[in-house]
Amino acid sequence: MNWKSLIPLLHKEFLLEFRQRYAISGIVLYVFSMVFVVYIASIRVTPPVWNVLFWLIVLFASINAVVKSFVQESGARQLYYYQLADPVALLLAKIIYNALLLFVLSALAFAAYSLVAGNPVKDPALFALVLVLGSLGFSIAFTFIASIAAKANNSATLMAILSFPVILPILLTLVRLSSIALRLIQDTSYTRDILNLLAIDAILITLTFVLFPYIWKD
Amino acid sequence: MWWKTLSVVLILYSLCTGLLVPLKSGIERAEPAYARSGQDVNIRFYGYNTFFAKPSGEAVRVWLYADEAHALAARQFRAINDTILEAVFSMPVNLPDGKQTVYLNAIIDHPAAGASLLPSAVELRQDTGTVAAALDSAWTAHPVENLHVQSGFSFPYQNVIYESIRNTYFHVPMWFVLLFLFGASVVYSVKYLRNPVPENDRRASAYAETGLLFGVLGLLTGMVWAKYTWGQPWSNDIKQLMTAVALLIYLAYFILRRSFEEYEKGARLAAVYNIFAFASLVPLLYIVPRMFASLHPGATGNPAFGSQDLDNTMRAVFYPAIIGWTLLGFWVAHLRIRYQRLYDRVMDIEG
Repeated sequence: MNWKSLIPLLHKEFLLEFRQRYAISGIVLYVFSMVFVVYIASIRVTPPVWNVLFWLIVLFASINAVVKSFVQESGARQLYYYQLADPVALLLAKIIYNALLLFVLSALAFAAYSLVAGNPVKDPALFALVLVLGSLGFSIAFTFIASIAAKANNSATLMAILSFPVILPILLTLVRLSSIALRLIQDTSYTRDILNLLAIDAILITLTFVLFPYIWKD
Repeated sequence: MWWKTLSVVLILYSLCTGLLVPLKSGIERAEPAYARSGQDVNIRFYGYNTFFAKPSGEAVRVWLYADEAHALAARQFRAINDTILEAVFSMPVNLPDGKQTVYLNAIIDHPAAGASLLPSAVELRQDTGTVAAALDSAWTAHPVENLHVQSGFSFPYQNVIYESIRNTYFHVPMWFVLLFLFGASVVYSVKYLRNPVPENDRRASAYAETGLLFGVLGLLTGMVWAKYTWGQPWSNDIKQLMTAVALLIYLAYFILRRSFEEYEKGARLAAVYNIFAFASLVPLLYIVPRMFASLHPGATGNPAFGSQDLDNTMRAVFYPAIIGWTLLGFWVAHLRIRYQRLYDRVMDIEG
């Protein structure tokens, strides 16, 4: 794989996002709308409910943020990129970019959510780590699924049904880790959960690299 | 072909023996389940598949068993009928090792039906306050020895699951077949990516479809068991939930296959997703259930079936059942592949 093309490709992703500001603004607005819907629907948010609702907000926002990765540019232009650079490097650039984007989004969601529904987090360092790990895991799984779903016409529906079952082990581990950060369960040996999460990430990213060459060729 | 005949023979064998062979004798409960030291207690044992009233050459023997060195033999006992046995025990004043409370296991040895055991049948409490200097000789006078083993073919008796132990031959093989079929499906998906001919794709999808069928059967047979032992067929156990999610993955696989106009594109992307999905099946079925509380054997420290629960008579039915159902699964998939081959020929898809 040609690693040199990674930086220009990453730069391209940022530039594209900057030039199409309405897309990222749309996602940010989506997060805020969802936070307020959740808040209005349930006025008293207890910490266990807070935890679950927060991850649901992040999950849906992430899906909507990542699904555009492969549909915002025309097929012809993507084919052009695949000729210029290594397709796997292109995918890796998208994964890194999406991980950063999802981290910013989940931090924003956390800020807005704790503003309206209170902040029950007792261990901020662990919670921040969970957000980083969550953004990484979501980014790997969703970017790969988005590359499959983008090939079909009904990509939004396909994105949801293909990714929800696959993301579930990651999501459950995240909810468990963040309930430790909220002190909802007393568990000091959470390193095993973190390792589980990293192991799942490692499996998914390896498969992503192996399988992507079969996806992009039409 | 020979393997189809073999599958029918093995499944018929596991059905007949699995449903007809009786359970071993067992003790359901003891009443009263508590006793105080230094008193005479009259305890009734309720048996399951027992023959207390049947005369036999040697005598029936009854013990309350504390540990390897300490056991109390019944002073006298009589069988009320085949399943109820009333025994009188003289409880010693002192308990072994100076304990305050000890849980005694009941052992009833029958010359023909063999020995049966009820763990923690009677709770014995030392609360008289008067402690004798030496341990009562009753603890060691009649050691548990020369137990009889039931001759003949029978399945182990286990409290809580009773006759439903027979479900082992139907519920567990479903998951073996599911894994074999999904594994075969992934193998053909990989083959399709390396050599994109429709035959490989047909096989991958037929194995996945049949695997899905066996997954549903596994869930249903599991629900029969859950209804009996856990109280309700669906108790939102993490193992049940993750299995349902795993089946959702394969439903999504079939949606994906059919959402492309070009056959080749759908087959290729579905093959990619199939490999991806199989990799996430492992955390779904084996890692996540261990993180949450579950009643299912093999989760959160519960012993998995197969270590001490499976005895030799069960193995003699269990392993043939697995082989038989696996062969049946591949037979069904084979029929599905042949049907699809004919269908594709009519629809003018080459290969």
